[in-house]
Amino acid sequence: MKYRRTIYCDLLSYNYVENDLQKDPAEFYKHLSLFWTDLIYLMSSKPQALTSVGPMRNFATNAKKIATELLEANDDLVEFNTRLTEYYQQLADTWAEAQKKVTAKIPKVPADQEQFEAYKRIWIDMFDNDFTELFDSKKFGDNYGKLVASELELSKHWEQVVNVMLQSANLPNKKEIDEVYKELHSLRKRVSKLESQLKTAKPRNITNDSRE
Amino acid sequence: MTAENRIDPKLVEEFLKFGRNLAEAPKIVPAPDEINLEVSPHEVAYTEDKVRLLHYKPLTTKQSRTPLIIAYAIINRYHILDIHPKKSWVRNLLNQGIDVYMIDWGTPTNLDKYLDLDDYVNVYLDNCVDFVRDENDVDQVSLQGYCTGGTISTAYCALHPEKIRNFVATAPVIDGWRDTTVVSNLAKHIDVDKMVDTIGNMPPEFMYYCFSILKPFEQGIEKYANFFRNIENQSFVDNFLRVEKWLCDTPPIPGALFKQWIKDIYQDNLLIQNKMYVGGKHVSLENIKMPIFTQVAVGDHLVSPECSMPLHYAVRSEDKTLRVYPTGHVGMIASSLSQTKVLPELGQWLKEHS
Repeated sequence: MKYRRTIYCDLLSYNYVENDLQKDPAEFYKHLSLFWTDLIYLMSSKPQALTSVGPMRNFATNAKKIATELLEANDDLVEFNTRLTEYYQQLADTWAEAQKKVTAKIPKVPADQEQFEAYKRIWIDMFDNDFTELFDSKKFGDNYGKLVASELELSKHWEQVVNVMLQSANLPNKKEIDEVYKELHSLRKRVSKLESQLKTAKPRNITNDSRE
Repeated sequence: MTAENRIDPKLVEEFLKFGRNLAEAPKIVPAPDEINLEVSPHEVAYTEDKVRLLHYKPLTTKQSRTPLIIAYAIINRYHILDIHPKKSWVRNLLNQGIDVYMIDWGTPTNLDKYLDLDDYVNVYLDNCVDFVRDENDVDQVSLQGYCTGGTISTAYCALHPEKIRNFVATAPVIDGWRDTTVVSNLAKHIDVDKMVDTIGNMPPEFMYYCFSILKPFEQGIEKYANFFRNIENQSFVDNFLRVEKWLCDTPPIPGALFKQWIKDIYQDNLLIQNKMYVGGKHVSLENIKMPIFTQVAVGDHLVSPECSMPLHYAVRSEDKTLRVYPTGHVGMIASSLSQTKVLPELGQWLKEHS
């Protein structure tokens, strides 16, 4: 509400715009965008009713959803980038630590075949040990879990955007298709149960053909 | 004397040879797509939805009375148990006179995203068991479950004990809290509800990521370097490519099954606590009273021995055997050790209990 009020004032005074813009630019533009999306929708809804069977009417009705999803996706993108940076930081730190250990153990560059094989074995063992320790740690698990969760949030936003497009083309969205899958699964279970009941009602030694 | 002069010429030659092998490899080595992973002759005995029950042709004139059904895992495909004529789990058992059936769970699509443990245990596996009982006119069969197939089979043996004469649990995933692998660490930290609700089936790429962080340098670098060093060794190359092809071919996991699997086994650890429900039926390990043969590998970095072994102690079977082998998860089923040690012991046990 605060921003909505401010935006109305913006039309009258440039100072309000400047103040809010300086306070929180992302929030300011988010609300500015939503304000105009809402207003254009209200202004255009009546003429649009003329084209109620075409794709644009559906699309315009749900256009706000796309704007909202894209704006919210930005927050999740920030979280995703934070987690991804932490992920690579953990890998880089572990690499540096493992390399230090290898260098401490074998300071000289291998010069013959035997030394090279020994160096390679130690390098692989130490790196595998250190990285396995990392992948097995709580800090890695925590960050990995949050990284995957933020990626899933981005997927959800994308799914919502595509749903709006599908709806505008009168095509079923993911939720509707999921309902069909669920219904089919339920039907398959019921058929299987009925077949099983039929089977137990019959004597054993049913031939292969009769099953198929 | 310069630094270059101190380098052993043999080392330089080794590097040059490695470079030559890289260039020559496409001329000598077949493309993975050209390799057929199906080794032992079989027929499809029964199908239901995308599940197939394979029946292998016998290699001996006399066969044991009780047929064996192998419930393979839900990750990767059944081919690893028949990967190479000289390392085939199936062929070894056939040569010992065991009648072998194998369940191929198929490739789930989005249509199958609501398939859960109930479907796998009480429908698919149960129907396969009933089919084999009918076809062989026996009341009971032997059941072997490998990896996640071991968990499915464990639940089955607890819910339908009257149909199983012998239970073989090979690296089964049982006690998720004791599992010390990195896979279990990831499983404990993911929001599986959000994951399945958003993407449905678990994509193969997620599994490949999990595989990639298991011994990343040994498996990601040295293994391939070793391959290019040995491209002239036909037997090595053939075996390597077969296993590689198998590793890179995993079907998606139905969303509902994956969700229940991660929550009940890794996050809440319900199975070993006898608190798990499958299709509304209580799964109690105390119902497992048939002879059981549990196989675990000390070097298993996918299912640690601490995760599998509790099954041996939790069941009520009086006749129970635990075997611990000095190998890894795949080594236990497709290696020289499996042929010379693991399988002869299992075959003997199965024949004694047939």
